[in-house]
Amino acid sequence: MTRLYQLVAIVCLALGVFVIILSLDLSYHSDFGPGPGFFSFWLGGLLILLAVVELVGLSRRPREPLPKDFVPAPGGLRRILSIIGSLVAVPLLMKPLGFTLTVLGLSVFLLRTTGRQSWWATAAISLCGSFGTFYLFRLLDVLLPTGFLGF
Amino acid sequence: MMGFSIALSLENLLFALIGCILGTLIGLLPGLGPAAGTAILIPITFKLNPTPAIIMLAAIYYGAMYGGTITSVLINVPGEAASVVTCLDGYAMAKQGRAGPALGIAAIGSFVGGTVATFGLVLVALPLARFALKFGPPEYFSLLCVGLSLVMGLAGKSLVHALMMGILGLLVSLIGVDPIQGAPRFTFGIPRLMDGVKFVPVVMGFFGIGEILLNAEKTLTAVMKTSGKVTSFLPRRDEWRISVTSILRGTGLGFFLGLIPGTNSAVASFMSYIIEKKVSKHPEKFGTGVIEGVAAPETANNAYANAALIPLFTLGLPGSPTIAILMGALIMNGLMPGPLLFKQHAAFVWAVIASLYIGNVILLILNLPLVGWWAKILKIPYQTLTVLILIFCIVGAYSLDNNLFDVGVMIVCGVLGYLFKKLDFPMAPAILTLILGPMLERSLRESLSISQGDFSIFFTRPISLTFLIITMIILITSGRKALFGALREESKEAEV
Repeated sequence: MTRLYQLVAIVCLALGVFVIILSLDLSYHSDFGPGPGFFSFWLGGLLILLAVVELVGLSRRPREPLPKDFVPAPGGLRRILSIIGSLVAVPLLMKPLGFTLTVLGLSVFLLRTTGRQSWWATAAISLCGSFGTFYLFRLLDVLLPTGFLGF
Repeated sequence: MMGFSIALSLENLLFALIGCILGTLIGLLPGLGPAAGTAILIPITFKLNPTPAIIMLAAIYYGAMYGGTITSVLINVPGEAASVVTCLDGYAMAKQGRAGPALGIAAIGSFVGGTVATFGLVLVALPLARFALKFGPPEYFSLLCVGLSLVMGLAGKSLVHALMMGILGLLVSLIGVDPIQGAPRFTFGIPRLMDGVKFVPVVMGFFGIGEILLNAEKTLTAVMKTSGKVTSFLPRRDEWRISVTSILRGTGLGFFLGLIPGTNSAVASFMSYIIEKKVSKHPEKFGTGVIEGVAAPETANNAYANAALIPLFTLGLPGSPTIAILMGALIMNGLMPGPLLFKQHAAFVWAVIASLYIGNVILLILNLPLVGWWAKILKIPYQTLTVLILIFCIVGAYSLDNNLFDVGVMIVCGVLGYLFKKLDFPMAPAILTLILGPMLERSLRESLSISQGDFSIFFTRPISLTFLIITMIILITSGRKALFGALREESKEAEV
């Protein structure tokens, strides 16, 4: 666990440095008072300070191992990656396929891989979820993307 | 009276009812808390006028407080954080076949707590708003510092982690166009980033998708079994007597804590339970199914929920992520929370306040007879609910601006939210600073503009100085607690 926290602190340190570098490209002060770079400069500095405090604190404490259940079991990891993978596919597929087909595919995939639902239940839930949401939000004047099939 | 006449219109009544139903549903569903639930439902309100939109969102917020109680009592699974403590005695009562009185006293206590807090809001709001009219940019900056320091001081075990998350939220809030000079900032040439990062997809990602990913570590095939049929809702005569004093104590505590930004409803319900146990003649019976173990925390959390709107409406200070989301919704509807809201939009404010009382009545009428129906929803397999929640999140994120960029932001924040939960980094500070960041920066820069760069403006104005002293006390107290905790750990290790 200590190693992970150290990694996070180093990432924050790097982020703080990055923010300061970007802030130097913006004006720190102007005729109207502090410029766009003022607040971000000091926030970057504060982040660096906190990262250093965290690293020093971690070095003074005994090393903590990772908790036993920190890394999910293979089944859990598979479910998590399935959910993330299907979510990542959504913005990529929504323009060509449209909302309804994309969400239909997402529902079928997740219900079969994470829940092991029967095909009948999967089909029913997926169709209601995708088409139902599409037409419900159309009633609320929220237009969702349509694909090559027009829905 | 003007407020009631607006709130009692058919349209506003309908949206209060819809909000109560949706809020109860959100509170009922484990894994979807009031913050994510409210954020997901914001897009539904885009086509509405501000008054019904905010009435509905506020009803969702306090409706979720009651919804979480149903699952706590019936299946020992809290629907949201504030209902955790209700599991202790509520579920014990349900196992004894007394789920009905448990839910009944929770509903009645919630109604009393919510109603008293609403009247408190009416009494306190105007004087507080008049006081806040004396605030200038330095006072607003210092006041925001108080609010943020309370949230960070109370969030999680590590103050350093909370501060880091707060700064990350502030940095993300800076993305876009500088509000004073109009210069692009941290946009990296991406046109979509010129509009900044919206808080709704971030909240949905952190609290909605992050929670789903965390739950996905275990099998998702659970179907929740309820503890049996719910019959009569009325407690026994002796239980009524005990409940009255518990409800009064819970109301007072919840109302007081609701006024303090940074506390949350879980704190109100836990503290109320602890106090009941301390004052009880039979503390050993707590956990075995005593009615005051349900009455007090449920009253406290609903009193808290309504009272927490006081700092939002009067000072423009949200005390929790869910209230911050309500604040975001107000801003999206062109209404700036704070003392000027009473001056410029008095009809709207009093209508929303009146709707709080009406919503409490609706919840009382809605939830007791319909608890059987709510219990049926718990039979829906969790993975089905997961898929439906994900669909709503996608639609919610997309419909903000009709672009897929926000969906992408939500997904990234979902993964980050999962990692933050695993690493025990509190997300509430990041959400609050994301929403308050622009106001914090604007008030800081305007103050320094007025004083021509002289920071003493924050210390020479008495109200601003008072707020800054309070901020320092909070941060020093939280820092000392953290430091003493760490030193105690070190000395324990040295002894071993």
